[in-house]
Amino acid sequence: MGADRPEATAPDRRDKTSPWPVVVVLGIVLSEVGILFNLYPVSVTGLLLFTGSVAGIVTEAGYAVRPWRLLVGLGAAFVVVGLLIVGSQVDGGLASYLDAAARDDGIVQRGYTVAAAGAIAALVGIVGSRTVDRVVFR
Amino acid sequence: MGALLVGIGAFLARTENWRAYAPLAGDPAATGGSHEHEQGHGHKPSGIIRWLTTVDHKDIGVLYGTYGVIAFLWGGVAVLLMRLELTTPTSTLIEPSLYNALLTSHGITMLFLFGTPIIAAFANYFVPLLIGADDMAFPRINAIAFWLLPPGALLIWAGFFTIPLPVDIGPAQTSWTMYAPLSAQQPNPGVDLMMLGLHLTGVSATMGAINFIATIFTERGENVTWANLDIFSWTVLTQSGLILFSFPLLGSALIMLLLDRNFGTTFFAVEGGGPILWQHLFWFFGHPEVYILVLPMMGLVSWILPKFAGRKLFGFKFVVYSTLAIGVLSFGVWAHHMFGSGMDPRIRASFMATSLAIAIPSAVKTFNWITTLWNGRIRLTAPMLFCIGFVSNFVLGGITGVFLAAIPVNLVLHETYYVVGHFHYIVMGMIAFAGFGAIYYWFPIVTGKMYQKTLAKWHFWLSMIGVNITFFSMLLMGYLGMPRRYATYDFNPALAPLASVELLHQVTTFGAFLIGLGTLVWLWNIVQSWAEGPEITDPDPWNTKRDGLHGREFAWFEEQLAADGKLATTDGGEASDASRGSSELRSDGGEADEEQLATDGDAEEQAQPTDD
Ligand code: HEM
Ligand SMILES: [Cu+2]
Repeated sequence: MGADRPEATAPDRRDKTSPWPVVVVLGIVLSEVGILFNLYPVSVTGLLLFTGSVAGIVTEAGYAVRPWRLLVGLGAAFVVVGLLIVGSQVDGGLASYLDAAARDDGIVQRGYTVAAAGAIAALVGIVGSRTVDRVVFR
Repeated sequence: MGALLVGIGAFLARTENWRAYAPLAGDPAATGGSHEHEQGHGHKPSGIIRWLTTVDHKDIGVLYGTYGVIAFLWGGVAVLLMRLELTTPTSTLIEPSLYNALLTSHGITMLFLFGTPIIAAFANYFVPLLIGADDMAFPRINAIAFWLLPPGALLIWAGFFTIPLPVDIGPAQTSWTMYAPLSAQQPNPGVDLMMLGLHLTGVSATMGAINFIATIFTERGENVTWANLDIFSWTVLTQSGLILFSFPLLGSALIMLLLDRNFGTTFFAVEGGGPILWQHLFWFFGHPEVYILVLPMMGLVSWILPKFAGRKLFGFKFVVYSTLAIGVLSFGVWAHHMFGSGMDPRIRASFMATSLAIAIPSAVKTFNWITTLWNGRIRLTAPMLFCIGFVSNFVLGGITGVFLAAIPVNLVLHETYYVVGHFHYIVMGMIAFAGFGAIYYWFPIVTGKMYQKTLAKWHFWLSMIGVNITFFSMLLMGYLGMPRRYATYDFNPALAPLASVELLHQVTTFGAFLIGLGTLVWLWNIVQSWAEGPEITDPDPWNTKRDGLHGREFAWFEEQLAADGKLATTDGGEASDASRGSSELRSDGGEADEEQLATDGDAEEQAQPTDD
């Protein structure tokens, strides 16, 4: 297990630091608080930090070469989860989903918040893979 | 929120930058892989950024330790306020509602914010050293696990911070067991915040446990086998298994409770799953939790006590087996916390049987420690005193547990101070004691300094006497029928011996302040010695080489001293222990021995007085 981690082979040749863990934590905390109390700016920030930093830390640890695909995947997963939450409160097709968005229903709002945060993350991932890679990594 | 995102972006850009320019760093663009640029020679950044970004197991150990100590101090202040209130039967100093809040916070703080993290502190720092690993298996997950704790604590304590604010959020008054329906019905959002905080600390503990399991399985050094794995790592491994099977359950139960509170579900409502469901779920976690706390501390004592008895741990294998046995059994006893809840008597009887059975492996350990001491060359250093106090307190704490596990006794003593006495003999008398002993024992390695011997002895005796005064009078109060968790006890003297109860409460408060005093002495000793104590140059401050009990962690310390050029020359550092025949100069003493045992050191005497 240790073998596929770069640092296992060269333990003393690294600075033993990473900026990502605190960001992952901040993401988890803000998402939990935001979703529980239905504070959507907090939830969206939290989920973006969480998805972004998970993609970042996994890349940094060498499990992925680029963060983007993972970011898209995580974003998509949150879109699905968010829509499932909304789906638990509505019956019917697209129209009823749109209807629900206008309703003053805490659970539906939370579902849409999660889905929207996921969509933003996925979008950032798609844009990133098209632009940043080309500019920074050539 | 937007500003926050930008700030974090800047932080990431900055910290990523220093790495890119680290000396010897490869050119990231040329090497292609994004992690290659870490291969530069390790220079840690300085100041707060270093602590925020570190993934080094030793740094993280220090962070856990600092955190645990802060939590311990808050938990202590909370309980001293409660003890002051209890010197009189009526409500004088604080409102009963504040009493309830302090009680809740004390319990949760001590178990989740002090107990579990202080063990993680020792385990992070020392398990990799003891098993010859470079670091934990997943250093970054290690850092995430730690950083989940500070926000967890802020959320758990949130209700106290909001007291001066004009908002309707107060501290939770649910007690640490959070029994439904009380916990489901208190409208205070402080309860939600506390549960979220608890959830975070649970996630943290689970991540840490996975990391320890992976580390101990996969990162052991070449000559560390299962047969000679040290006893502390064995207990951490067992503890991690217990965490893995119990904390996720607590997390799920908490979420169910949060759903009940906020979204109208009925998991624990009478018309739904019922309040007893909470008790089953909670104690299925809660009983293993007490062993999560005590097993690694038993491991520490099994590691340290032999060093100062001059003998190997007696019956090493049986100590390991009993650890594993306790680990397994601890999942089969939870309902002994619920004997009074109206369960089917046949089920109750079977839980009584398993609970009594757990006394067997516990007694195995006790006899092994005592036998290790038997005919040993005992040196009463501060770590040793705390180990002996630990064994002594376990006798009282364990036996009262066995009494409580007997249904007829339990029905009389349940929910009285007897229970409080029982588990405090264990949580304070053992868990905190082993923690103090280990802090003294490893103080030279972590700080490079030596603590002040006399103050350490004051600390021990104040704590030992304080614990026994405080918690023995609680046992007596339990016999008199004093119920636990009450802010007042202004009952009719015709119904119960009020005068005796009041006296015992005052004795208890006196004892608690002795413990508090001892803790202040300890705090001063640690802080002052760390800042100003003499530098250690002797790689064997406890003189364990002589008995062939030099542990791997001190061998590592020796390398470290040598690398820093601080190692005392043979006639310099050795001179002080000449009296004790430091003839065994094998470079790493007994550590190759099959069972890795710790031994003794008269170290305390020599490391302290003169430094060079
Ligand atoms: C010899 C093994 C032990 C036995 C047989 C035992 C038995 C019991 C029983 C039957 C109770 C329930 C009392 C009641 O509420 O009526 C209890 C409570 C408790 N025990 Fe133990 N115990 C043992 C060891 C331990 C250890 C090692 C710890 C801690 C590390 C511990 C911590 C606790 C705690 C915290 C409670 C109180 C929980 C609460 O209601 O708040 N016990 N014990
Ligand atoms: Cu129990």
